[in-house]
Amino acid sequence: MKARLFLQRATVSSLLALILLASFVYMGVNPGMLFTEFHYVVDLAGSMSPPHFSLLWMDKTIAFSVLETLSMAFLGTLAGGMLAVGCALLTAKDTMPYPWIRGIARFMVSLVRVIPSLVMVLIFVVTVGLGAFAGMLTLVLSTMGTFGQLFTEVIEATEKAPAEAIFSVGATRWQVIRFGILPQVLPSLTANFFYAFDVNVRSAVGLGIFGGGGVGFQLFLAMRVLHYRDAFALICVIVLLIVLTEKLSDGLRRRLIGRGRHRQHTKLH
Amino acid sequence: MSLHDYSLRRYRKGVLPVTGMALLTAGAAVVCKVRWDLLYKGLGSGLVYFKNLLTPDVGAFSELLKPALETVLIALVGTFLGTLAALLFGLAAASNVAPPWLRQSVRFLLGLERALPEVVILLFLVAAFGLGPFAGVLSLVIGAVGMLGKLFADAIEEVDPVSIESIQAVGASKVQVMYYGVLLQVLPTVVSYALFRFELSIRLSVVLGAVGAGGIGHELYRSFALLDFHRACTALLLVLVLVVVSERISVYLRSRVRQKGRPR
Repeated sequence: MKARLFLQRATVSSLLALILLASFVYMGVNPGMLFTEFHYVVDLAGSMSPPHFSLLWMDKTIAFSVLETLSMAFLGTLAGGMLAVGCALLTAKDTMPYPWIRGIARFMVSLVRVIPSLVMVLIFVVTVGLGAFAGMLTLVLSTMGTFGQLFTEVIEATEKAPAEAIFSVGATRWQVIRFGILPQVLPSLTANFFYAFDVNVRSAVGLGIFGGGGVGFQLFLAMRVLHYRDAFALICVIVLLIVLTEKLSDGLRRRLIGRGRHRQHTKLH
Repeated sequence: MSLHDYSLRRYRKGVLPVTGMALLTAGAAVVCKVRWDLLYKGLGSGLVYFKNLLTPDVGAFSELLKPALETVLIALVGTFLGTLAALLFGLAAASNVAPPWLRQSVRFLLGLERALPEVVILLFLVAAFGLGPFAGVLSLVIGAVGMLGKLFADAIEEVDPVSIESIQAVGASKVQVMYYGVLLQVLPTVVSYALFRFELSIRLSVVLGAVGAGGIGHELYRSFALLDFHRACTALLLVLVLVVVSERISVYLRSRVRQKGRPR
């Protein structure tokens, strides 16, 4: 028994090691580079410090770009979240009796979900030009894709009894949704809106690099023209922004529903 | 609460939040320069752009397979090494394994690190190490440490202390306690999170490619920049296949792990 277990483990670990080695060779990556070329990191850190913090109040565009990132995330969450709720109502078995409409809605949501936001932002930059508007539209779509599916699961996990009770006394379909289902899912939906805002602030920073505007774009510009000290200051701003948003979002969510339970659901459903 | 109820409570619970949200939305719309006329006008060119994206260049398919494989490998290696590193950080950030000062400082570092999107990390790594998959793998590893380190630490802190004590009671060494009492207990959680992270890494690896890690993301971005839409379409199709297939695999394996890890 013990020998078999040992053999099994040895096979798995040697296979993993072999795959790892093969990938390194195939990609032409030498993991030792981390140590042999580490002086480049030190050089970079040297040219980055001290961070050029005065830029933050000298240059009005930086402060405005932070505001832009936040606005992008806010509007993306609000509009995308509402679209997601609409899609979820069309996709969930409890609220939409016609299978073919469910099928179409489900297909739309999963299509939006698999298209990388990189591609979306590139298309929107062509459509409305470089800037925060393009980033916001991308966020609207990506929020709709991610949270549409999640909201469908939330709606389908509700207690059926209240909805049936209301239906049995002659309520219309809309009344069943309004009084039988919505009260049950509202806390979860609101909590997920806060979570979506947290996620969207992060993606807004990332989208900026591809022309979505905001503080990510400023960082990209600073790196492009090799103003590393400016970039370091911007990094500090970004870290502060994201940490604060996370704290805010977590705190509000914890007030709404139990601690920790919710995030796990979102991350590992 | 009826329609004719003009109480203070109704004012506080109904009118104020709605007005606040409306004001916030309006402010955000001004800052973002939301202009629907622009969207309406641009929709034509956007749709043409999109329509061009609908006809794939079949000839480019075979030459794009290699970058696609590279993207998968970057994600695979990044996830694997990232999980291993995150496990170390998770041990150092768990209260039942590490001393309080270590736990606090590691948790603080992980929190800071998690706040940086992988793309931003890559911008710096590219500046240091140059373009290529090495910077991509490294930024995925760092990203995985940030995300998984805290999750692993939380999982380790939830390990049943009774099982650790009973292993100590039969005279196990420190390493044995660590291995049998902690690591083997959290293994299903670790594998499950690692699989989830792999799914994310594939998406990230595509985006990272566009910034300079190589792979299919680079091809996609370059085809867009060169207005070679048919090639971009082929690359996009490959990306979709990668994303969907990796998601399916990850979900399937995770369900297997969860069944196996369930207590008997």
